[in-house]
Amino acid sequence: MSELSSVTGNITIPYTPPPETPKLPPREWVKENLFSSKFNSILTVVSSILLLAIARGLLSFIFNPERQWNATATNLRLLMTQAYPESQYVRIWVCAAILLILTSVSMAIWRTARVVALPDLGRRLLSRGAILALLTLLAPFSGRATLIWLLTAAVVAGVGEGLRRFTNDDQATTTLTLLLVTLSGLVGSLWVVPYGHHSFLMDRTPRVLAEPGTVAMTTKLPWTIMLLIAVAAYFLGGFLRERLPVNATRITVLLLWLMAPPFLLYLVLRDPSFEMGHVFGTDIPIFGVYAVLGSALLLWLSRPSTGEAGRIVAALVLIVGCATFLTPMRMIVRLDMLLLAAFALAAHTFSGGPRAQKRYIFGWLGVLVVMSWMVTAINTPSTVKVPGGFFIGGLSLTLMVAIFTIVISFPLGLALALARTSTMPIFRLLSTWFIEFVRGIPLITILIFFSIMVPLFLPKGMHLSEVTAVVIGYALFSSAYLAENVRGGLQSVDRGQHEAAAAVGMTTAQKTIFIVLPQALRAAIPPLVGHCIGVFKETSLLAIIGLFDILYIARYVMPNQTEFMGSTKENVLFVSAIYWIFTYQMSKASQRLEQRTGLGER
Amino acid sequence: MTENPADTAPTGTTGATSEPAAGQTRDLSGARDMIVCEDVSKWYGDFRALDKISATIKEQEVVVVLGPSGSGKSTWIRCINRLEQHQEGRIVVDGVELTNDLRNIEKVRSEVGIVFQQFNLFPHLTVRDNITLAPIWVRKRPRAEADAQAMALLERVGIPEQADKYPGQLSGGQQQRVAIARALAMEPKIMLFDEVTSALDPEMVKEVLDIMKTLALSGMTMMVVTHEMGFAKEVADRVIFMEEGQIVEQNTPELFFSNPTEDRTKLFLSQIL
Ligand SMILES: Nc1ncnc2c1ncn2[C@@H]1O[C@H](COP(=O)(O)OP(=O)(O)O)[C@@H](O)[C@H]1O
Ligand SMILES: [Mg+2]
Repeated sequence: MSELSSVTGNITIPYTPPPETPKLPPREWVKENLFSSKFNSILTVVSSILLLAIARGLLSFIFNPERQWNATATNLRLLMTQAYPESQYVRIWVCAAILLILTSVSMAIWRTARVVALPDLGRRLLSRGAILALLTLLAPFSGRATLIWLLTAAVVAGVGEGLRRFTNDDQATTTLTLLLVTLSGLVGSLWVVPYGHHSFLMDRTPRVLAEPGTVAMTTKLPWTIMLLIAVAAYFLGGFLRERLPVNATRITVLLLWLMAPPFLLYLVLRDPSFEMGHVFGTDIPIFGVYAVLGSALLLWLSRPSTGEAGRIVAALVLIVGCATFLTPMRMIVRLDMLLLAAFALAAHTFSGGPRAQKRYIFGWLGVLVVMSWMVTAINTPSTVKVPGGFFIGGLSLTLMVAIFTIVISFPLGLALALARTSTMPIFRLLSTWFIEFVRGIPLITILIFFSIMVPLFLPKGMHLSEVTAVVIGYALFSSAYLAENVRGGLQSVDRGQHEAAAAVGMTTAQKTIFIVLPQALRAAIPPLVGHCIGVFKETSLLAIIGLFDILYIARYVMPNQTEFMGSTKENVLFVSAIYWIFTYQMSKASQRLEQRTGLGER
Repeated sequence: MTENPADTAPTGTTGATSEPAAGQTRDLSGARDMIVCEDVSKWYGDFRALDKISATIKEQEVVVVLGPSGSGKSTWIRCINRLEQHQEGRIVVDGVELTNDLRNIEKVRSEVGIVFQQFNLFPHLTVRDNITLAPIWVRKRPRAEADAQAMALLERVGIPEQADKYPGQLSGGQQQRVAIARALAMEPKIMLFDEVTSALDPEMVKEVLDIMKTLALSGMTMMVVTHEMGFAKEVADRVIFMEEGQIVEQNTPELFFSNPTEDRTKLFLSQIL
């Protein structure tokens, strides 16, 4: 017996698949799940009636002839980008194209497509068709519309039934193909289906144009190009995946994603008019000094043999960095100094042979370039001139504030959580105070404070647009909550993990980065995504400080247009649908992320 | 005496008359001191977990620590690589005294490997990465070199084919073997084992003990907390018996098992054998 067991590692047992759980035919499934007992049957009937009533209410609201959906159709551009000037509009499309390319390339590189068996697809289409037919019958359509919709439902259900009948489980397609078909259908419909052509004509007296026919050329042409770009980018991604080492490509793409928001916002949308004299005379020399001296310092610090002297020097750099705030000087000099201090402090952790050193120096140079460029770009006036304060509004503003807030508050929240669980009392105290303080203040107060007060406190020569100030305030607020979510994850990491890491001689930083954080963040995915959804939705508070976010436009701007007096209800419903689409996607992404990282397995 | 110690068979209960095993023939009196504990005491709150422990462990020596549950075996062994702090006395590991100085702690930890009862593998890393992480980031080895070493170690513990799996996909015995490989990857001078077979199903105990035996024969200095008396008799140079935070008795395995001097030791042995 023990002879045998000592070699269990090498025995291969022939694979026997688990017994299949038989698929119940629909009628039995319904019986088993919905009408298994008297009580259950009553519940099923009551909730079905309720659901139908709600659906009917919503449908009769949407399709009531009194509704002014014209208002939404005409104001789409306002809702998306507010008053972004027509002449610069190509910039928006460039942004959309860049984001689409990144998305497609990522999808190809991460192989997000999943296989769907055709009969499954058929079943799904069949039920969709049935639901569509049911909704059509519920809705107060005119005779002709009912007929069209019923016909559509019948086609969908028919295709589904056909797939179900005449294919078997070996025949499959991918989610990607389905996505492509759906998108092509949507874009194709822009060319064929008479959605109508709505727009504001900025004549001497602005008037609304609402013509029958397909949508305007300025809508359908760009979207068609976008689709083609996305498909091309997907193939590019597949090509890259084949040719390049996967891990390197993935890291590059992730970095591009991180860089995309500032790049798109400042260079593309804002079009800063750099004053080249200043750039060459001041910005580049400062960058050069830091690049050369900083690299030399880090080269020395990242040698494994540097030892104790390195830690002292790094601490000195940090002290100097903090001291720069006491004397007047350019902000970029101070920020670079702090950045250098951070790299110096971490140098010991990442030290190693020449290759590791080279990588570390490149990391420093990369971050320095980004930092210098950002500060220069922020301090440069924009060429895009719009009425009102900021060059962007509507959904774009909502998305922008949400993305920047989340991106900034993530490292901040991580740092706060680590500080709060650290063994250093001073860090713990500061972090706890900050978190408890911020959590005690309503978000609105913080937004108002940052939009009105902070610009007054800034040192001379530094400007912050209202939006930047608000994003900073919102990020601070969000980081406090995020820190608590991460702290929950940190506490879920077993003590044995800390001990095992310490026992192989890892420093606290190494232990945190390689062992604790990956496990903590994995455990914290659900609350973190919940938090992101919250941040996205709460951007609607921007309206209170006078920024034109999508909800504000729907609630106050559009109902005041003479043509669309009192169209609030429709607009708000439309905006809710948009919010829902985004948050639902985030939820789905979270579920997929959980599956991928294997949460809930073990 | 024995030319090929690996062939020495465990001969069961009669320790004194059994064929002397590898360790007992060695004369370690001239060897270097690897671990020196002088009057080490430790309290958890008011509870005294270690009470003036004094012991010296020589290079290449294999010491088995026995004692009832709660007697402070784990506490002692964990003090030696500073997973716990002692409050009184001195611990010197390979000439480095354990103080609050971080540099000393990191140095000692990278020279002392420890294997835990609960494996404590990193669940988010593959077996290979579990083993190479510390050599790469603590010892600053190039990745290729660390990878080659990891594969050699996995070969040594008999599971090279599991390199790309995650710990959750392995059996307990395999996990513990990876944990041993992970500790060995730092090329420690001392290995500590804290009841490494207690969480294993019976049929997996042997595969882990076999590896520990080979390691002992290769000349590693080892401190082993275990309830496997067979292992103690066969491999140990010395057995230390602890109770209530004190060292009650220590002796060579033959004498310890055949001729215990203290009453508490006799009681313990009568319960366990
Ligand atoms: N972290 C701790 N806090 C308080 N008491 C502890 C802690 N760890 C161990 N002890 C106590 O110290 C004593 C010795 O524990 P331990 O060294 O784990 O014993 P052994 O390993 O011999 O079973 C036990 O009574 C235990 O309850
Ligand atoms: Mg124990």
